[in-house]
Amino acid sequence: MTTAGERAQALLDVRKLTMRFGGLVAVNAVDLAVDSGQIHSVIGPNGAGKTTLFNAVTGIYEPTEGHVLFEGHTLARPLSAWILIRTAIIALLAGLLAMTFFVRADGLWKAAIRENMPAVRTDPFSYRQAASTAAEYLTVRSSEATTGFVGGFLVTLLGALALWNRSRRTTDVVALGGIARTFQNIRLFQNMTVLENVLVGMDRKFSATFLGMGLRLPGARREERELAAKADELLAFVGIQGRDQMLAKNLPYGDQRRLEIARAMACEPKLLLLDEPAAGMNPKETIDLMGLIRRIRDRGFTVLLIEHHMSLVMGISDRIAVLDYGAKIAEGTPLEVKNNPKVIEAYLGKEEVH
Amino acid sequence: MTPPSRSAIAGGVLFAMLVVLPQLPLAEWGIPANLLTELLILSILALGLNVILGTTGLLHLGIAAFYGIGCCITGILTTSIFPFQTNFLVAMMVSAFGTALVGLILGAPVLRLRGDYLALVTLGFGQIVITVLLEFENITGGKKTLQGLFPPLLPFVSEGTMGRRGDWQTFPHFYYLCLGLLAIVYLGLGNLERSRLGRGLVAVREDELAAGAMGLNPARLKLSALAIGAGVAGLAGSLFAMHNTNTTEPQNSFNFNWSIIILAAIILGGLSSRAGVLWGVVLLMGFDKIASRIIDDSLQAAAADGNTAFRLSNWRLMIFGLVLIGMMRFRPNGLLPERRGTSK
Amino acid sequence: MQPILADGNGGALFWELLVNGLVMGSLFALIALGYSLVYGIIELVNFAHGDLFMLGAAMTYTLTALAVSWFGTVTPGGMSFAIVLGLLLIVPFFCGGANILIDRAVYRPLRRAPRLVPLVSALGVSFVLVNIGQLWIGTSPLSLENKAQLVSDDSLIQMGEVPLKWKDAVVLITVVPVMVGLTWLVKFTRLGKAMRATAQNLVAAQLMGIGVERVIASTFFVGGYLAGLAAVVYTLKIGRIEYQMGFQNGLYAFTAAVVGGIGNIPGAVLGGLLLGFIYSFGGGYSQGNWVDALIFGVLIVLLIFRPTGLLGSRSREKV
Repeated sequence: MTTAGERAQALLDVRKLTMRFGGLVAVNAVDLAVDSGQIHSVIGPNGAGKTTLFNAVTGIYEPTEGHVLFEGHTLARPLSAWILIRTAIIALLAGLLAMTFFVRADGLWKAAIRENMPAVRTDPFSYRQAASTAAEYLTVRSSEATTGFVGGFLVTLLGALALWNRSRRTTDVVALGGIARTFQNIRLFQNMTVLENVLVGMDRKFSATFLGMGLRLPGARREERELAAKADELLAFVGIQGRDQMLAKNLPYGDQRRLEIARAMACEPKLLLLDEPAAGMNPKETIDLMGLIRRIRDRGFTVLLIEHHMSLVMGISDRIAVLDYGAKIAEGTPLEVKNNPKVIEAYLGKEEVH
Repeated sequence: MTPPSRSAIAGGVLFAMLVVLPQLPLAEWGIPANLLTELLILSILALGLNVILGTTGLLHLGIAAFYGIGCCITGILTTSIFPFQTNFLVAMMVSAFGTALVGLILGAPVLRLRGDYLALVTLGFGQIVITVLLEFENITGGKKTLQGLFPPLLPFVSEGTMGRRGDWQTFPHFYYLCLGLLAIVYLGLGNLERSRLGRGLVAVREDELAAGAMGLNPARLKLSALAIGAGVAGLAGSLFAMHNTNTTEPQNSFNFNWSIIILAAIILGGLSSRAGVLWGVVLLMGFDKIASRIIDDSLQAAAADGNTAFRLSNWRLMIFGLVLIGMMRFRPNGLLPERRGTSK
Repeated sequence: MQPILADGNGGALFWELLVNGLVMGSLFALIALGYSLVYGIIELVNFAHGDLFMLGAAMTYTLTALAVSWFGTVTPGGMSFAIVLGLLLIVPFFCGGANILIDRAVYRPLRRAPRLVPLVSALGVSFVLVNIGQLWIGTSPLSLENKAQLVSDDSLIQMGEVPLKWKDAVVLITVVPVMVGLTWLVKFTRLGKAMRATAQNLVAAQLMGIGVERVIASTFFVGGYLAGLAAVVYTLKIGRIEYQMGFQNGLYAFTAAVVGGIGNIPGAVLGGLLLGFIYSFGGGYSQGNWVDALIFGVLIVLLIFRPTGLLGSRSREKV
């Protein structure tokens, strides 16, 4: 067995990943390296931790221990200068807001505006006068003003940091980084059309501005048309052409799975995670799906696959990892895995339980 | 060309009706004309809430607060007791953007939390806004409100050319102004809904987790929805101030009940379907503001001399409540459900 | 903000506010439990709960008026004691029963509907209840004390300078045993076990043969019962009712439930007490109208730094 360290650089490199829920260890120190251009499968009995592994990789769960490296680094929201500046501005504004509350904004307004209104209607209002009155008002109440400003500033700053910290490794960051996925229990946007589902996947390619969208400017329209054409091509690729305007929930089950794949492909990920794509399919559909997954790989996507259907996995995988009770018990080519006694035991053990 | 959808027809019919309405002999039928203008303003407000509640699926219970904020900003900017004294166009834009900003500030801390908390936060916010509007009486006029708002309509246009001061704020001029703005908001939001942004919002409503896994930032999208909705509500509030020529008493006009009544109108018409929302407002508000008075008058005349139980206005909340319950039970998608695409 | 302390009386005021905070806090806690229990089981924020509390207060008023019309003038003493006991027996059952009815008629048909559907229905129920209250007790506030002095204004005991008034004592004497009883109910009885199981996993509980609908109905009953109890002691303490009182108190209690961690029983109590203290001290040391803003600020800050509330646990979406 080769380990992650020996390879030049795997596309996805999961290192000693552990997921614990309370006392339950769902995934236990799993290493997994997925190379570019391969179909890599993860198999294992029910409850072995396969989907949990996927969820940890895609940012739905925060790993209890271990790392997920993609192209050599962790996918996380970067701390850009813009975010820092924005946070500082927000905190400053909040500080000012808190300050006006602490010195009673009402009184401040009364002093600066109401009492500076010229006696004669037509006379101009002096904003300079208002500013100096306001400054005077604040000087008199400098301790309240300082308390309010510092308090508001600090609380907002800390709050913004806490929020930012919580949103560092969310699903969207992982998706934008180049990992897209499907879900075991199909999660399409049910009340949107087939085309719209794919267009949502393409979201990042749109460049229209708010005004362009609101007024349907020609640029925005052209963009819509071009990307819709691309989406149609993808839909044809997965085999559900001609049903663009149908609602996703009205598609037959098998086609829903295909649509989910098309939607994930629309993200143009480097790594495509398929969570039991053949679940609930009949043998013929499963064979078609095998072909589709191969064609996806040939299109340049790397595929990481969770599957129960042994025949499907053995037929198309370049490499297979086997999980049992959260731990990886074997990894290798399909042939190696098939003959591994631990794997056989794990699957037989599963029979005993049932 | 595809044939126009059912909701496009419904929307078109309604707009045609609204254009013709002021030409009818309303006074003879006992319908006060300025109530019709209010209907239009409430329609704009409802379209704003619909972006948040219908399109994005966020339970927002404080839309009336944004309505009030917009109303107040316009009041402050146009009253003659403060130095700003801007024209209506500027006041309207500042109100809309200012209110959108407030929506952003309110939403930012809570949007990554589970949805039920937004309901609580917006509910609480609605209360706070009323407190602030009442307490800061030097700014907002408090209970006495800011009176006598008669700004010029446009910049660089002297009042003389536009007729007398405040002329444009009377029926039917102001009615048509509101109708025009309603049409702009209606079409603009429709365009947004069919664009990338609208798709993102609906995706977040349908399945937030999947939307995130497709690279959408759900928190940012929800925040956009909140800002747009608040901004539109602020616009409606600005119109309301101009309509009344004062900033109405906050406790009665911007309270929780109003938020829910607007919500009920949206539910009745159809969540996320703009034509449905307009019909919902026209039906529910038309009933509440116009029909119920007429029924009340005839009821009182007929029999129930002074008995409060026989006055429809005493059953108002019950009727709204039953509309909500009944619609949720039997027709959760409203009278005119949203149609995305056509299901074959 | 200007403290409005009486001269040289700061210490006494502090203790007074502390007692008041404790009393209001336990009232908020009682109502908050109704939100939390129901949320814990069917993840529904029952917006109508505060208005149920209002109906309880209306019932308290009506029953008292009825008693007065039977017995003539009632002053604190044996007769009023009997009336209070009677109220504490009847009103909670009324509210609990009404809550079961509401659940049966409105929420139960919507168990499988998307989340927004029962929530909006709850708003509808809230409106209906407010309207019932409006028709029942009218639109202007009513004073119970005009009808009868059920609890005396005297102090029960004097702790130094600080009196513990009978009105406050009644609240504490009622609330504390009820809290203990509720803990016992949830922890040790069959029903409590079933409730906890259903809260954990409704479907699994159903598969294990738990009558889930019965458990839900019981939960609504318990929540309503507590709201009714709160209504009685609230009316006795404050002495004033009005048809809109459900909204404000419901909002406080809902906030308390979220602050403590919604769905969490000790959390609701903790949140209620915390809110009671903020309410009492905020009202005592600042101009009263800003208390709401203060509570709101605390809520927002808490949600930022501890999104699941003080005692809430992380809930994880099933994928």
